[in-house]
Amino acid sequence: MRQTILRALEQVYGNLVHMIAEFLPRFLVMLIIIVIGLLVAFVLKYILRALLGLTKLDRVSDDAGASRVLRMAHLPPMTELLSRSIFWVTWIGFILVGLSVLGVAGLQEQISRLFQFLPEVFVAILILFLGAVIANFLSRTALLAAVNAGHPSPKILSWSIRFVIWILAISMTLEELGVARRTVISAFSIIFGATMLGLAIAFGLGGQDLARKCLERYLGDTKKKEEKEPQPL
Amino acid sequence: MTLEKDNLWYKDAVIYQLHVRTFSDSNADGIGDFAGLTQRLDYLEELGITAIWLLPFYPSPLRDDGYDIADYTSVHASYGSLEDFKTFLAEAHRRGLRIIIEMVLNHTSDQHPWFREARSSRENPRRDWYVWSETDTRYQGVPIVFVDTETSNWAWDPISKSYYWHRFFSHQPDLNFDNPAVFEAVWEVMKFWLNLGVDGFRLDAVAYLVEREGTLCENLPETHAIIRELRKRLDLAYPGAMLLAEANQWPADVRAYFGDGDEFHAAFHFPLMPRMFMAVKLEDRKPIIEILDQTPEIPESCQWFIFLRNHDELTLEMVTDVERDYMYDEYATDKTMRINRGIRRRLAPMMDNDRRQIELLNGLLMSMPGTPIVYYGDEIGMGDNIYLGDRNGVRTPMQWNSALNAGFSLADPERLYAPVISNAVYGYQAVNADSQKRSEHSLLRWMKSLLQVRNAFQVFSRGTIQFLNPSNHRVLAYMRQFGEETVLVVNNLSSSAQAVELDVQRYKGYIPIEMFGRNLFPRFGNSPYLLTLGPYQFYWFQLRRI
Amino acid sequence: MAEDVFLSDDLLRQLMSVGEVDLLVGMSSLHAANTVSHALDEIEESFQRNFVRQRVVIVNVGGGDNDEDSARAKGHDNLAEKGVRVPGITSLRTSHRVAANVPGSPSPGIALRTILAAADLLRARACAVVSPAASNLTPDSVANLLRPVYREKFDFVAPLYTRNKYQGLLARNLLYPMSRALFGWGIRELFSEEWAFSGRLAALCLNQDVWHEEAIQARPEAWMAISAMASDFRCCQAFLGEKSQATKGLGRDIVEVLRQTVGTLFWCLETRQSLWLDSGRSQSVPTFGPAHELTSDPTDLDRHRIFEMFRSGVTELEPILSSILDPETHSEIKSIVSLEEGKFRFKSGLWVRTLYDFAASYHHAVINRDHLVQALAPLYRGMTYSFLAEHSDSSPAEMETASETLCGEFELQKPYLMERWKAKVEVKS
Repeated sequence: MRQTILRALEQVYGNLVHMIAEFLPRFLVMLIIIVIGLLVAFVLKYILRALLGLTKLDRVSDDAGASRVLRMAHLPPMTELLSRSIFWVTWIGFILVGLSVLGVAGLQEQISRLFQFLPEVFVAILILFLGAVIANFLSRTALLAAVNAGHPSPKILSWSIRFVIWILAISMTLEELGVARRTVISAFSIIFGATMLGLAIAFGLGGQDLARKCLERYLGDTKKKEEKEPQPL
Repeated sequence: MTLEKDNLWYKDAVIYQLHVRTFSDSNADGIGDFAGLTQRLDYLEELGITAIWLLPFYPSPLRDDGYDIADYTSVHASYGSLEDFKTFLAEAHRRGLRIIIEMVLNHTSDQHPWFREARSSRENPRRDWYVWSETDTRYQGVPIVFVDTETSNWAWDPISKSYYWHRFFSHQPDLNFDNPAVFEAVWEVMKFWLNLGVDGFRLDAVAYLVEREGTLCENLPETHAIIRELRKRLDLAYPGAMLLAEANQWPADVRAYFGDGDEFHAAFHFPLMPRMFMAVKLEDRKPIIEILDQTPEIPESCQWFIFLRNHDELTLEMVTDVERDYMYDEYATDKTMRINRGIRRRLAPMMDNDRRQIELLNGLLMSMPGTPIVYYGDEIGMGDNIYLGDRNGVRTPMQWNSALNAGFSLADPERLYAPVISNAVYGYQAVNADSQKRSEHSLLRWMKSLLQVRNAFQVFSRGTIQFLNPSNHRVLAYMRQFGEETVLVVNNLSSSAQAVELDVQRYKGYIPIEMFGRNLFPRFGNSPYLLTLGPYQFYWFQLRRI
Repeated sequence: MAEDVFLSDDLLRQLMSVGEVDLLVGMSSLHAANTVSHALDEIEESFQRNFVRQRVVIVNVGGGDNDEDSARAKGHDNLAEKGVRVPGITSLRTSHRVAANVPGSPSPGIALRTILAAADLLRARACAVVSPAASNLTPDSVANLLRPVYREKFDFVAPLYTRNKYQGLLARNLLYPMSRALFGWGIRELFSEEWAFSGRLAALCLNQDVWHEEAIQARPEAWMAISAMASDFRCCQAFLGEKSQATKGLGRDIVEVLRQTVGTLFWCLETRQSLWLDSGRSQSVPTFGPAHELTSDPTDLDRHRIFEMFRSGVTELEPILSSILDPETHSEIKSIVSLEEGKFRFKSGLWVRTLYDFAASYHHAVINRDHLVQALAPLYRGMTYSFLAEHSDSSPAEMETASETLCGEFELQKPYLMERWKAKVEVKS
């Protein structure tokens, strides 16, 4: 019995040593891949930073209002943000490749699925971000135009535009992530279509007079406004 | 060479204007004479001119450079005798050179026997040969010509105790052409010279022949009637003899002096002359175009005579005040240069002795429509002396060589009728005919070749003119056409190189041949024809269709 | 590969024909097709009366291929061709007209760039830009613009006008005092449709790489003036008579005018920091002709509406204004908004601080810069209302005194602007 146990222990020990002997090189390769990935990520980060600096992306971002959004979120400026993003994306990619080299059963499959899902996540984040920027910009544009034109309810108009764009952005994000795709699309279509139909009926049938008065007031205001204000220059 | 019978010789002529006093002195008295002039006829023949216009050589007190005539049918003793004149005339004709002399009809010297008789008493038969008045109030408002020296057109005669009319100097009383006897006397004078063989007359101050109350006493219908009668008689008795009008008027007003081809054969185009100078200084063709556009058509047998300079001041009467001020500021900065609403300078000094500008102006003179006149000495670029009185600064002795008195005379320099120009730039040592004859690229040689080309083509003398008006205003371009001959003339009026595109589509297919070098240029096609010209450069292109 | 060139072949060919000139007058005939002929005649007459010996050219910048305008505006003036000699007037030289057709609808910036290029190529000594639609375009006004440059060797000439006392309030209460305080030169009409400049200023401006900037596209004249000041060029003003009334739709829309003028001014502050951050007290510029005048002709203005738009604007734009204005400034403005209409006054000190806050915020791009300028409109209306109320019975002399006081206030508060300009930005949510 003692011999059997000893023999079993030897076998197990031998297997363990064999496993470690097989694992160690793969582990070493993984480390090398990660280090190379780090270097590549740094290089790409600096290259991108230089290229984006030439295109004056920060200035465009300022004008579009994106910089403000970033500042509110305590994020760095656009150029820096993109540079850092490319750094992390590259390095994480290399890390995942390194992990896949380890040969751990099941891990490779999970990593593969994660790789497939990552682009969609990025696009979704981008859609949300752009939606936020556009909503911010257009709603402010509408607010200013309405205020300066003497529109009676500028905030409502501004808020409506912001709401519509947010709804659109969220719907597109969820669709991109594949979350309840059909439900989201249907819901969005219903809400959007109903809103438009409602407005059409309201103006077309129920608000003929109001619509007419609005138009008259708009056209009249423009002329009167020009004549009743002093010539600025 | 002998003279060909040609009644229209004046249209193809190149005239050389000189005063016999200034040209060459044969007897060392310091004054040029006919004998000396005769000796120089070879020079003129070689130059390429075809006619000589002589300034007055008649006996005269010379208070107006001979335009105050004291004897119409003789020669001033200083210039020789009538025989000398006849010899000169014969020699000139032998060389194919025609002779035009002055005929001052409007007035005489107060030393003329006619006036001496007229003023001697009110009953004298010649009294009515001049225009008299008890007061100086007749013909009010008539402008004075010599504004720098005269204050009135009437002068008081202390002998006959009355006023006499004079449009020019007070010592030049006007003849009264309302008296038929005056006309006949003048005709006799003209016949005298025509019988000797002269080829034409320049009638001085012809606009002022007749006076009428309430007018400016210029260009009156009666004046034209007198001219017509003269012309009629001339054509009948002396066909081929020419009458040239000196009428400093706008072209439209001068037009009347051609009549229907039954008055003057030719007239000076006074307004064109200052505008050529103006155009070069402005570097803009506008003044030339404007005045030629205002120039009316004249009868086929008639001709404009054009010139750059002459014995008088460069007159600025036929320009606006703005134009006159500009000309003064650009060409007569020193007020000594100005006289009688004009500029008393020669061609070369006016152009600062710039050979290119001098050539350009001569090129314009020889290519514009009309008979060109070269003032003596301008062919070698003679200078002037603005410190001599009146217009005498442009009437200095001809510079023949670098020897004593510029080869004009062997007299003592102090005896010369006027000092020779002797400054460093225009002095006779630097500027003279002999040295320029020896130099292949002198102005004189260049003038000869210019006249050679001009004389070879009748298009310049008789052709029509059509301006091309390219968008570059510094370039003056025109077509001259006569029969089958077509010539394109392009002038750069600017001091810098210019490019110009000419619209010559009408002449598509023609080959331009540059007339001095006889080189071919690219054929005219559908597109505007591009030419580049150096500063003040000009081209004459003969157009041929082959 | 060859770069795209700015000047068309046709324009270049026309310029070749013109050659060197002494005087150049440029104009943009876009939206002014009916008045081009009249403008050309007025300019020609000015040349004939005042510059008879000079080499001259008119450059007309038009849009698209309007053959009729081109035909009118091209060519050279030869009186002989017209067959008429203008009585009492003669011109010695050919007067050229150059038509520059730019594809599409050229902006004022593109029109000016074309004119500058023509001036530079033709080595023009003195140039002027005029508006063909201006009712005050006369031979004398053209000459008054050109003479200081041509004869007195100035580099920039701004116009001066006779105005109604209620005209030009934007210039009076904002553009003039602010530019005077910051750039150091008292040019009243920094934004106008007519001005003059020297050939060397034209060359300087032409070679700057700013032609793609929106500020230059809309109102380039102020930038030219400031460029002249920045380069120590000589500036002056010339009296041109009565100010031309703005045509319908242009120059009367306050928001659009603010975007063009204040936007450009702020942009100039941004790009010329070195000029104004170190400049000292302002100095006056020489004036040719009478000083500007104010008349007291009655005008019909709806003050109540102006006040209401101010009040509603400040209220509705509070989130935007809070990110632009200093909290103290914003608080003061909120307090005066609640005042009754009859008691409302927009004190000059507050107005100056408001403008400086806007300028600093523009520099820091706290929000989109175009939005920032638009947000100024209600506040400008408030200032306008206050000014109208305060000066309804003032004489022109009293108004002028008030204007000088306002200029002093701008200069006094310049350190405030400099402090805000250099401060770090905190983001307000």
